[in-house]
Amino acid sequence: MANEIKIGDYIVIQKHNYKKLHKFNKSDSTINLGKDTINLEGLAGCPYFSVFKLIPKSNKKKREFTVELAEEAVKLTDEIDIKVSGNDNRNILDDGRSQKLSAADIETLKTDSNKASDIVETLISNSNTFHNKTEFSQDKYLRKKEKKYFEYFQVLKPNLRIISEIMYKLEPNKIQNLRIDTLSQIITMVNIHCEGNHLLYDSGSNGLVAAALLSAIGENTTGKLVHMHPGNMSQKQALLAMNFPEEQLARCVSVNVYSALRQFYQGCDTNNSAPQEEKTEGTEETSMKRKHEETSEECPSKKSKQDNENEPSENDNTNVPDPPRENKKPKWHFDNIAASEILQNKMDSLVIACKEDPQNIFNELVSFVKPGRPFVIYYNVAEPLQQLYMQLKMQSNVAALKLTCNWMRNYQVLPDRTHPEVTMNASSGFLLSGYVLK
Amino acid sequence: MSFRNYKDKIEEGDTAILYLSNNLYAIDVRPEMKNKKGEIVENVYQTPFGALKVRTLIGANYGSRVELSKGWGHVIQPTPELWSLTLPHRTQIIYTPDISMILLQLDLVPGSIVIEAGTGSGSLTHALIRRVRPHGHVYTFDFHEHRSKVAQEEFQEHGIADFVTAKHRDVLADGFGEELNGKADAVFLDLPSPWIGVPHVLNAIKNQGGRFCSFSPCIEQVQRTCLALQDHGFQEISTMEVLQTEIKITRRTIPVRDLSFLKQKSSVSPVEEKPSSDTNYVVGTWPQSTPGHTGYLTVATLPPPYARSKPKKTTKVENDEKSTENGDKMAVDE
Ligand SMILES: C[S@@+](CC[C@H](N)C(=O)[O-])C[C@H]1O[C@@H](n2cnc3c(N)ncnc32)[C@H](O)[C@@H]1O
Repeated sequence: MANEIKIGDYIVIQKHNYKKLHKFNKSDSTINLGKDTINLEGLAGCPYFSVFKLIPKSNKKKREFTVELAEEAVKLTDEIDIKVSGNDNRNILDDGRSQKLSAADIETLKTDSNKASDIVETLISNSNTFHNKTEFSQDKYLRKKEKKYFEYFQVLKPNLRIISEIMYKLEPNKIQNLRIDTLSQIITMVNIHCEGNHLLYDSGSNGLVAAALLSAIGENTTGKLVHMHPGNMSQKQALLAMNFPEEQLARCVSVNVYSALRQFYQGCDTNNSAPQEEKTEGTEETSMKRKHEETSEECPSKKSKQDNENEPSENDNTNVPDPPRENKKPKWHFDNIAASEILQNKMDSLVIACKEDPQNIFNELVSFVKPGRPFVIYYNVAEPLQQLYMQLKMQSNVAALKLTCNWMRNYQVLPDRTHPEVTMNASSGFLLSGYVLK
Repeated sequence: MSFRNYKDKIEEGDTAILYLSNNLYAIDVRPEMKNKKGEIVENVYQTPFGALKVRTLIGANYGSRVELSKGWGHVIQPTPELWSLTLPHRTQIIYTPDISMILLQLDLVPGSIVIEAGTGSGSLTHALIRRVRPHGHVYTFDFHEHRSKVAQEEFQEHGIADFVTAKHRDVLADGFGEELNGKADAVFLDLPSPWIGVPHVLNAIKNQGGRFCSFSPCIEQVQRTCLALQDHGFQEISTMEVLQTEIKITRRTIPVRDLSFLKQKSSVSPVEEKPSSDTNYVVGTWPQSTPGHTGYLTVATLPPPYARSKPKKTTKVENDEKSTENGDKMAVDE
């Protein structure tokens, strides 16, 4: 069943409100959550959404855990019965002495107790002030403690929403601060759906934009994505984390932008002489080497399928696997040809999410887009897009040109305590969008 | 028929979007139309730049230029986004910034089964259909019979009726219908009392779980909806607001005032106390007035039955003044 946790899947571990992406590559793989090391033996075969309880290994100090399937996550607020509360905080004086237990006492309590609720209950009963606190502050206290001592986690299936949330929270600069609302608009603004040929240039979203587009193109459909990137390897983390079936993933053709355009404009060299290059030691020679090989390769009359290769890497500094010497051509060779064929038929949309100045990239790639079709460019600050806006306005070869920016705010919704979250994610970049004219 | 597949040329029966100096118009491409007296006459579309004989659009390429007596425009194939900006309003509608977020928050992909109520003007419905087709389906309900019928006709004309079922039904009173029990991956509600619909959502969502989203303009609606979701075992309940601002780009020439010369005694006297030169910037101006609120999006996951938390204690916390009530209030634990 597709709903079971399988070895090889990317999975999401959610502990309290914290989510983490994990490649579940073997049955006893371990994951680090904060200071805790958790052995995931026992997950395989359980359905997604299952809840697991953390079981401390013998020595609690080491913070190593195994897991056990649980009925449900027990909440502190459900386990702890609070008898009395105050009406307001007029009598509460926070002098740091309200807790009778010493720090050392608390440490021993933590190692000796088996249940979070025991710890918290002891803390409460040794507090001078807790029972004078208002019900709301008691609730808040329990929620805070719950976060600290939560002993359960749930396993979720990754999808675009969750991956985008995790990546934005973890390292927003690794994805150019591309927030979920802005990401959602990239997909709609260029009308991505099950059909058509879509062109993406992405130089810094860890595969997030490609994942977004491919997920909207869908499983068992006809849509194709040409995913251009500047490095030797595309950034694929998010793309892989989506657990796309092979058929779907195969319709995302990832190519180095130089090779793909060279292939498109110059075709491939029919010069049959075997690649001459000696093994260069230099690390950054690869792209030069690539160029050399490419031009000295013959054009295959038939596109042969040769898809297995190792691309789990998430950064573009990895070396291109050395092409086997003989007739076997590397995968990228065929990908370039496939991309160039798709480009010949012209594209139905263009998405650019880059670190470089978008102007040249747009000017080159827009020529592949059919008249009347949409484009969108993401950039994390406005100025480069403003420049491009001025240029496009002068050329007047696009319609409905718009520079937009988004604002998003989350809310705490609790009875009588509803208000916007106290911090908001204020940075999410800018979108320049429009339609290509004839 | 121009909402279904990508097209290169305009055909009779298409809806074409005319782009004319920053304005968009949806044109029904029919060479002739009925006038007020019921006579068949030539279909002429009046634009601020002069009249357009709609007949002349047939066979033209999408993306191409259209000549008008006082200027020109361009024709574009409609997308759900362009449609949201040009459709005839029968109700308030949801626009692209919220729509985009709704699609993503509902985890919709081609193949998903999604339920929507109410249909309203079909602005969101068009985007839902585009996202879930070809293997998925949209079930959309409205208790306003005429709206439901007009929407159904529109889907037919747009060539997307295969992917949508529009029904006339009061979903709060009668649910989504037995035939949809356990069928939906996601449910979306845009109606005044979404919390009343939550128990029906429970029935409609697949056994393996699914997503819920409601769009409500008022925070009181949100509070009630969140309570209902919590009481019914939903998780990851979250409320958010999304706003989009369009930034106006202009080139601005601004004066430069030089003050540095004052350090030295000037040979030229008297010195003119005015800006000495100009400089240029491309600037982005935030609009004087921009959407400040559309609605709150409340989203949640309904996990499969085995993972649903069983209600332990009622979530109501009342802010009571009288301490005598405290005892009662705290006794709600089972
Ligand atoms: C604001 S409109 C929806 C607009 C729609 N989301 C759009 O983007 O075009 C709300 C619709 O909900 C319908 N409605 C309200 N209560 C309903 C109910 N109980 N059952 C079905 N439809 C309902 C109304 O008739 C109205 O057409």
